[in-house]
Amino acid sequence: MEDFRVLVVDDELDFLETIVKRFKRRKIRADGVSSGREALALLEQEHFDVVILDVRMPGMDGIETLKEIKRKRPLMEVILLTGHASVESGMQGMQLGAFDYVMKPAEFEELLEKVQQAYERKSLHEEKIRESKIIV
Amino acid sequence: MLGNRPFELKTVRHYLAPGLMMLVAVSLIPLAHPALSLLCFLAGSVSFLTIRWLHAEIRKALDQKCVLDAQLIQSQKLASIGELSSGIAHEINNPLAIIGQEVEWIRHVAKEIEAGSGLTIADMQDSVQEITRQVERCRDITHKLLDFARKKEPLIQAVDLNKLIEDMVRLVEREAKQHGIAIERHYGQNVPPVRTDGPLVRQVVLNILNNATYAIQKEGVITVTTKESEDGSADIVISDTGSGIPKEDLNKIFDPFFTTKPPGKGTGLGLSICHGIISRLGGTIAVESEVGRGTMFSIRLPGAKT
Amino acid sequence: MSELKPRVLIVDDEERFRMTLSKLLKVKGLDVKALGSAREALEELTDARYDVILLDVKMPEMDGVQALAEIKKRDPQLEVIMLTGHASVDVAVEIMRLGGYEYLLKPCPIEDLMDKIDAAFERKKAREERRKRVGGQAAEGGR
Repeated sequence: MEDFRVLVVDDELDFLETIVKRFKRRKIRADGVSSGREALALLEQEHFDVVILDVRMPGMDGIETLKEIKRKRPLMEVILLTGHASVESGMQGMQLGAFDYVMKPAEFEELLEKVQQAYERKSLHEEKIRESKIIV
Repeated sequence: MLGNRPFELKTVRHYLAPGLMMLVAVSLIPLAHPALSLLCFLAGSVSFLTIRWLHAEIRKALDQKCVLDAQLIQSQKLASIGELSSGIAHEINNPLAIIGQEVEWIRHVAKEIEAGSGLTIADMQDSVQEITRQVERCRDITHKLLDFARKKEPLIQAVDLNKLIEDMVRLVEREAKQHGIAIERHYGQNVPPVRTDGPLVRQVVLNILNNATYAIQKEGVITVTTKESEDGSADIVISDTGSGIPKEDLNKIFDPFFTTKPPGKGTGLGLSICHGIISRLGGTIAVESEVGRGTMFSIRLPGAKT
Repeated sequence: MSELKPRVLIVDDEERFRMTLSKLLKVKGLDVKALGSAREALEELTDARYDVILLDVKMPEMDGVQALAEIKKRDPQLEVIMLTGHASVDVAVEIMRLGGYEYLLKPCPIEDLMDKIDAAFERKKAREERRKRVGGQAAEGGR
């Protein structure tokens, strides 16, 4: 199994628990938090590769959180989760550099595939940066 | 353009060597007849000098052409910078004008409060909120411009195009349905595998779908088609039964800041960003439209094998 | 007294701009109406009298320059101040040719705008005065 870490951010605790459990069952290291602020705090301290982020959350919403994550960790790949996101927020999310959108209720297999693609993208990105550093 | 220059000079040099050889040959043959020999030598010298003169002239012309080419590129560049700056100026000056007026209004209210005319701080609130809104509008423009300038280098991955498009269609569908807009899918089964930057393509598809719903407003159909083109590329065609784009606007549609939306509703950068993205991915994007009938965007992305 | 107050028509597709501007001009004692499109403005001008028009250049459908041409065709005496977010030489030349009175770049201080309105109004009054005199003489001479 590829060794990467996923952070799931959702204020619906049932959903959060289930999804984290299912990642772990597949030996993927996953953690869950229930707000944007907690997510940012955790990202300060620990290393993650992919963040799954609910768009609609009370307090700091998904788009705000995405903005902050991309500001602090530009290479982090973020998948947005949405129940019924407005197209407006969808466009905003993609412009801010989200990797993809997943509609809720998400099929786990689909989510897993997207997480793997997102991780592949992050690795590619890091590799590119390493190469350019070697050349320089 | 610049690459042509050494090649053409070389061609001239190719003529120089045979010219010299001919000169020697021609001067050798009539050795028996000194007068003829002299004549031949003179003729040879003249042709040699002519070739050298031609050589110099061509070099001069080529140098001039290079300068002109450079000037042309420069002037085209300046023209597009000029166009862009005037677009930026316009987009930023309008919100600035509103901010200026709101400040003026706040000043007026402040004076009235001082004079005890019965106005209160609450009469300023609306203006303060409007200023905040307009500052956001400016920020939105400058941020998109920065995105535009930054030109993120694409990251290439294998992408299932049909699936990618379906995801974006589903994102738009709910809102579309509320406006009586149906989305028809014609996903080709033999769409070639594509290696491209998924998030960037998503951004483009979402943008065009959103424009399509905007063009329809109420009651209509968006048709999304994917197929393999004759040359093995992947084609995405998104058409709508919306208001259509007038002929005179059609060639401006990918220009930065061109928008038909009311002030503050669109920055006019969406389609120019899409155009930039698709070009960077080695593809093409084209538009066809008829007023009253609808608009069709065709995107072509290189297939993984091409 | 109403003679001294210029009647001003603001035409700008940016709603907030025209609403606040009309509030500000009203506070300064002007008689103001604000409309959001050139078409509405032309309609309004068929049966209402104005002294000065503030006309935005960039508007969807009929833009300010087209509207200016139409306004000047109907009433060459009307004073028009063009407002725009960007100065373009082409547009400026076109406006001069069409006889637009002034050309103001947004954003501009309200005092500048007031000055332009006052000047335009003075000019219109002076022209009307002159025409009245000339018209009166012509009428006398004609009889």
